[in-house]
Amino acid sequence: MKNKPIKFNNLKKWESTLASCIRCGYCFEHCPIFKSTRWESDAPRAKVIMSYGLVSGNLEPSDYIAEKLFSCFFCKKCETACSSGVSLTDIFIDARKDLIEAGFNTPGTTSLTKKECVVCLACVKECPYEARSIINNKIVVDPVICKSCGKCVEVCPTGAAILGLNFGTSKEELKNEASDYLTKSKETKIIVFACNWSYFPDLQSSKLPETEDKNYKIIVNMCGNRLEKEMLIDAFLNNAKGVLVACCPDGDCEHKGNEKAESNVQYVKNLLKDLDMDPEKINLVQIKNGDKSGFQAEIDIFVDKLSGNK
Amino acid sequence: MKQSDLSELKRIVGENNVKSDPADIYIYGSDSSVHTALPWAIVRPETAEHVQEIVRFANKKKIPIIPRGGGSGMCGQTVPIKGGITLDMKQMNQILEINLPDVYCRVQPGVVDDDLNMALKQYGVFFPPTPASSRIATIGGEIGNNASGVRSVKYGATRDAVLGMKVVMPSGEIADFGACTRVEASGYQMHKLMVGSEGTLGIVVEATLKFVPIPEFRCLGIANFDSLRDAGKTVGDIMASGANPSMLELVDSIAIKAVNKTMNLGLKEVDAALLYEADGMVVEAVDYEIKKMQEICKKNNGKDLKASYDPDERAKIFLGRKKLFPALSKFDDALASTSLADDMAVPYSKMADMAETIHKVAKKNNIVMTAYGHCGSGCMHTKILMDTNRKDQWASAKKAITEIYDYVRSVHGTTSAEHGIGLSKAESFKAEKANSLDTLRTIKQALDPNNILNPGKMMQAPEDWVTATDLRYSITS
Repeated sequence: MKNKPIKFNNLKKWESTLASCIRCGYCFEHCPIFKSTRWESDAPRAKVIMSYGLVSGNLEPSDYIAEKLFSCFFCKKCETACSSGVSLTDIFIDARKDLIEAGFNTPGTTSLTKKECVVCLACVKECPYEARSIINNKIVVDPVICKSCGKCVEVCPTGAAILGLNFGTSKEELKNEASDYLTKSKETKIIVFACNWSYFPDLQSSKLPETEDKNYKIIVNMCGNRLEKEMLIDAFLNNAKGVLVACCPDGDCEHKGNEKAESNVQYVKNLLKDLDMDPEKINLVQIKNGDKSGFQAEIDIFVDKLSGNK
Repeated sequence: MKQSDLSELKRIVGENNVKSDPADIYIYGSDSSVHTALPWAIVRPETAEHVQEIVRFANKKKIPIIPRGGGSGMCGQTVPIKGGITLDMKQMNQILEINLPDVYCRVQPGVVDDDLNMALKQYGVFFPPTPASSRIATIGGEIGNNASGVRSVKYGATRDAVLGMKVVMPSGEIADFGACTRVEASGYQMHKLMVGSEGTLGIVVEATLKFVPIPEFRCLGIANFDSLRDAGKTVGDIMASGANPSMLELVDSIAIKAVNKTMNLGLKEVDAALLYEADGMVVEAVDYEIKKMQEICKKNNGKDLKASYDPDERAKIFLGRKKLFPALSKFDDALASTSLADDMAVPYSKMADMAETIHKVAKKNNIVMTAYGHCGSGCMHTKILMDTNRKDQWASAKKAITEIYDYVRSVHGTTSAEHGIGLSKAESFKAEKANSLDTLRTIKQALDPNNILNPGKMMQAPEDWVTATDLRYSITS
């Protein structure tokens, strides 16, 4: 391959880091985007390879590449797993800067503002990264800064704030995933909503035999912040035996998602009480980042309790 | 690739299971090796029937097919040196059956090793090969490369754990090889031949695997040595004593320095360290093995001996070895860690010589190499740290690798213990198997007359690995 003159000035400083990525692929395992599409092209390693291709001149920039590099939920699980200690998300941010400079700006997972926006500024106040601002009486998003946390989506009263791509994490997709599971099951089942920081303790990339069907399903909802009352209630309307919500411990969630999740779970508990139903059918547990076995233990306790085993 | 061919592939597997954007092609053009070469398209089959139809089409059109699992191979097995279709097997990811009474499981090739072990764990059993890349490695890839790992000294490699398989042959027909019984003497053991064939003879669409009980007790120990030779001799003495370690790892001084430098672990900077582990169902039996190994360590001037059953303590003892990979990557900003000459095996009595040879050859050729590995199974790993931008460093690496493999063959060792041949090791492989290459070529020709399955690999690979493909690094000076 011919090496062309390097135009990617922000990426250039990462050139030796990009070469030091040994491409082991350990970053695949927990990446929510890879898990959604199951294409290597959507895994963090692919973003490193594309960045290297751009900086070395072996790959021409394109909208397709931009879409890949603008798609990341910044859970940083890839960085935790990286066997070469590569600062992946910092590289992705610099790649975004260069792509914008080169005229390629696709939203990927970053947030957008539709025409229904009434410029109430709720999203501007809520954004923890100051990615949203008002310019000429219009809300604009800086796609380099936006980390696709979705707080703007949740606070927007008109539904104007959306993420460009959701990879299975939108409210509708999550509701459908839960209802598909609940309605197709012969017995009543449990839904476990796990935030993406909880390292769900289940098979990451493979499927169990049908005979091994568990009585619960873990659904990754990115952050407790994005878990709405409606989704919790919807599970019960689809005959869920119970709902367990996992989120980060107090102080650990940079989006304060655990506070919102707790308040929503309490709301549904009260609702169940009002309906003369057992409020223990819904519960919230705080799971430390990476504590897979602690999470599995909490699931087992919840499942046993609802199954009358304890 | 012609539009009509792409359309046919899309017809077979569906629009969403075919990719051919230049970015996708670039991404799938490399793996964890130094090589890169571009496929023409990437296709994801979801069923054995899809694989059959794709193979029939490719055979008719004489288009190469390169099956690919996690893409974590280290020698370029999945780098499409002749172009063609990269067959991404990750969508065939179903564990089909866990049969406890008959002690086997059946899986599709895209099942990830760690996932299989997670599914088996609840029954107190595990699938033993467990390579270091088990979090991404697929069973199909492990079969293709006869993968193994730290516990292969006791539990063997993938070939030892495969009972049978369904394979799509280059004609597109499905063949059932092996059985689901523990032993089989019914003709050629074709499933054993398929293991390690690197996708050159057939495409595995289902595998029957045995599993073994998870031991109740596991004890891990460490011993430091002031002399690499003493550590190497200890490995040989332990294995010759009849001891049954479940892990026996050697780490050299460069590896220890790398871990201390980059991870600040404060390990004692000795010439070499040995990690030894025993496991079993009865604590007395594990104690017996550990004591036996410690006595041999002491006899060979091992010092700072300690061992523990406690999981936290074991994790601390293993930390240096565990952090070795990232430590080598971060050893020096100007040097990249490359997978070359990375997994030779030599007889136990040559282990010390092997490690010393690696150091001598590296020094002579002005590159940094480390010696570590699963010495209990005869496997020595190395990593070459070099400035990948410099042409002269590649020339030095090439020279060093040739010298190292010359030594390996001179002591009746083998080119690859667990990573396979692919492109990077063809030179030594061909020299090692010189008088059986014709037989290997005859088998390949008989099964795959149109040479569509992963062509240009192993005995077909160019001898000069530096020029066999583009290297995935920018060589600027």
